Amino acid sequence: MTPPTIRRDGRSDAFFDAAGRGELVIKRCADCAAWHAPEASGCHLCGGAALEWTRASGDAVLITWAKVHPRGEGDALHIAFVELAEGPWLHAALDGVDDPSAGLALKAAFVRPDDGEPLLVFRTA
Amino acid sequence: MGAAIAGLGMTEMGKVYGRSARRLAADAVRLAAADAGLALEELDGLLISHGMGGSPGIELADVLGLRDLRLLTVMNAFGATAGAMIASAAMAVQSGSASAVACVFADAPLRPKVSAGAAYDSTPREFRGYGGMTAAQGFRSVNALYALAAQRHMAEYGTTSEQLGAVAVSTREWARLNPIAQMRDPMTTADHQASRWVVEPLHLLDCCLVSNGAVAVIVTAADRAADLAQPAVHILGWGQGHPGNRYERGSDFGLTTGATISGPAALKMAGMTVADIQMCQLYDCYTITTLLTLEDYGFCAKGEGGEFVASGALGPGGALPTNTGGGQLSGYYMWGMTPVSEAIIQARGQAGERQVARNETILVSGNGGILDHHSTLILSPAQAGSSTTTGR
Ligand SMILES: [Zn+2]
Repeated sequence: MTPPTIRRDGRSDAFFDAAGRGELVIKRCADCAAWHAPEASGCHLCGGAALEWTRASGDAVLITWAKVHPRGEGDALHIAFVELAEGPWLHAALDGVDDPSAGLALKAAFVRPDDGEPLLVFRTA
Repeated sequence: MGAAIAGLGMTEMGKVYGRSARRLAADAVRLAAADAGLALEELDGLLISHGMGGSPGIELADVLGLRDLRLLTVMNAFGATAGAMIASAAMAVQSGSASAVACVFADAPLRPKVSAGAAYDSTPREFRGYGGMTAAQGFRSVNALYALAAQRHMAEYGTTSEQLGAVAVSTREWARLNPIAQMRDPMTTADHQASRWVVEPLHLLDCCLVSNGAVAVIVTAADRAADLAQPAVHILGWGQGHPGNRYERGSDFGLTTGATISGPAALKMAGMTVADIQMCQLYDCYTITTLLTLEDYGFCAKGEGGEFVASGALGPGGALPTNTGGGQLSGYYMWGMTPVSEAIIQARGQAGERQVARNETILVSGNGGILDHHSTLILSPAQAGSSTTTGR
């Protein structure tokens, strides 16, 4: 399958800059240090609005998954909710996880297409 | 003084083309008023809910020529709106701020020669930013998110695809008895298993229809409803539940819904327990939604929904007749108005071949978002205090 092409949108440039270095960054509250998903805009624990992109371990466990079957040509693809070691869940694509199970240990990785930004995927740890 | 539903108006539903959502909404309100035996000018309240395919707004009052309204609002709690709207209308009637309130839902997402899937498809032409990345990788549809919910329940409790199929099959058995249901061909568990994957573990026959159309109801005081054209359907209880699931450690996503909040609230107001409920009309956007909702209301223990739905309890002749018009899976997809409309028809005793004998206590649910929002109504042909409810 040809990987889809992702373009920057300004709001998540730090995520893709880190992805280019092979690093996963997510948001962290500057006031209470709580971890949040990349799309969070504020901290629901302390009400703080200052979230900073911060490197995460990339360690995760599988919460749940589903298999997207293409209507035409191409391979079925596993999507998932994964729980990062830091706590937030991410909407994730699984790569090479043939036999998913709840609690499966995963590790963040990046797929680098010829064009566009890197894609975050999770592989068996 | 209680409130009651005095009128029901339903347009043609399904592949109904050539009418905008606004026009369909206006038609449904006219039908509901006529059904109640009320003139349009006797309405002094209008509550409006819209779906994905067009947005009738408060200008609907002008389209209908309504004057001097005392209540006019667009409401939105996604699939929980119908229940929330009818509860608001009941409160308006009980407080005296309005005396006859029309509540209407209309949607027209289908276009000729475009598939139902494409009607709700929001796939962007370009993928931009972090959200674009996840969309490009397969997070494109509500189907995918409900599939993730279903898979979590399956992994946690051993719920099987065949058990989800039992929901689809029992709902179809009812649809076969409903002349206005869109899907009336016989269905077996094998048919369910053989239907194509939408997003695994959801088969095509786990998913609701997409329909154009509109449904309206008229809410008024119980004593006034008693003098109108149709048997009154009393609104004995209501509740909402918005659990605010966060996607983070400890989340119950896929395991429980807001029904755990709205169900007890509605039952308490009605002075009942789940043991008093004789029939359910549940929001069934997917088979998993029916199963989860039954668990969360307490019709069976958490995690035992699969066995419960496979027992035959929901179908014709079962202990808990559920979605007796074919629901959204096989009947018609008018969001929360699908279960509301069937509850009214059953409470009035007007369901014909599919009429359930024990119709004194009907529980109606609404569900919206990805199991994020819930509403519950308790409806009955008997007024509060006069009911003869003594268990199922
Ligand atoms: Zn904070």
